[in-house]
Amino acid sequence: MFTVLLIVHGLLAVALLGAITHQALSVWVPARKPAGSFIGRFRSVPATSYANAIVVLYLCTAALGAVIYTEYRVSIRVVLEQLDLWKANGAFELKEHFVTVGMGVLPAYWYFWRAPLSGEHARTRAALTGLLAFVVWWNFLAGHIVNNIRGFGS
Amino acid sequence: MIALRSFPVFAVVFAATFAVAYFVSVDRNYALFTYHPAIYEWGLGVQKAKDGPAMYWFGWLATSGIVATVAGAVAAWLPGSITRRLWSGWSWAVPVAVMVAFCYLLRGYFLR
Repeated sequence: MFTVLLIVHGLLAVALLGAITHQALSVWVPARKPAGSFIGRFRSVPATSYANAIVVLYLCTAALGAVIYTEYRVSIRVVLEQLDLWKANGAFELKEHFVTVGMGVLPAYWYFWRAPLSGEHARTRAALTGLLAFVVWWNFLAGHIVNNIRGFGS
Repeated sequence: MIALRSFPVFAVVFAATFAVAYFVSVDRNYALFTYHPAIYEWGLGVQKAKDGPAMYWFGWLATSGIVATVAGAVAAWLPGSITRRLWSGWSWAVPVAVMVAFCYLLRGYFLR
């Protein structure tokens, strides 16, 4: 059961990673002219349309992660400690705390991305998006590393 | 309409308070409840591990959620003349500072 949940959690995380990266790049390095290249088109998406999806994906991914976390605590973390894999363990501990801090900024993130966008809060909007992008990337990589150490079928 | 007008105040105060309250909850272990995943058992407050590890994360989340909701609601209830000067950047600056503080708190994992 946890394997299925882990796969769904991973798929949701991929969707979230794509959405938040699109939005963060379009805010931090916006395309100034019609994009021709792949990277240019990646940056020139309508960022506002991603906000609701990002909030929903973040909450769903975190909720599934919270369910899986119970299994991690019983079966995986103990093994990481026995193998002296402290850095991987610490990266996962940070993942747990970063995702929680990220949850706390979601109401502000959602509000400042509401259309019509306020020019007054452009910097706040960009910073909140950058913060969430960092959290999502960190969590994706930390989760991936721990899964590679002690994941499916082990 | 009033609720919508006050929402940015609520959201900014919620984000900042939630981050700080969560850090304090973790550091001092102010968990509202404990989960024992090995035996699928929940308990009120901070409980010691029994037949496997004890998980406090859900309890920390609840503690900080309640604190932040109350703080945000109080701030949203204040008159606009007081809250008008609230800097929206607190919504990201405080959480970023808390994330750095967590790196310091957990430095032991990376310095072994």
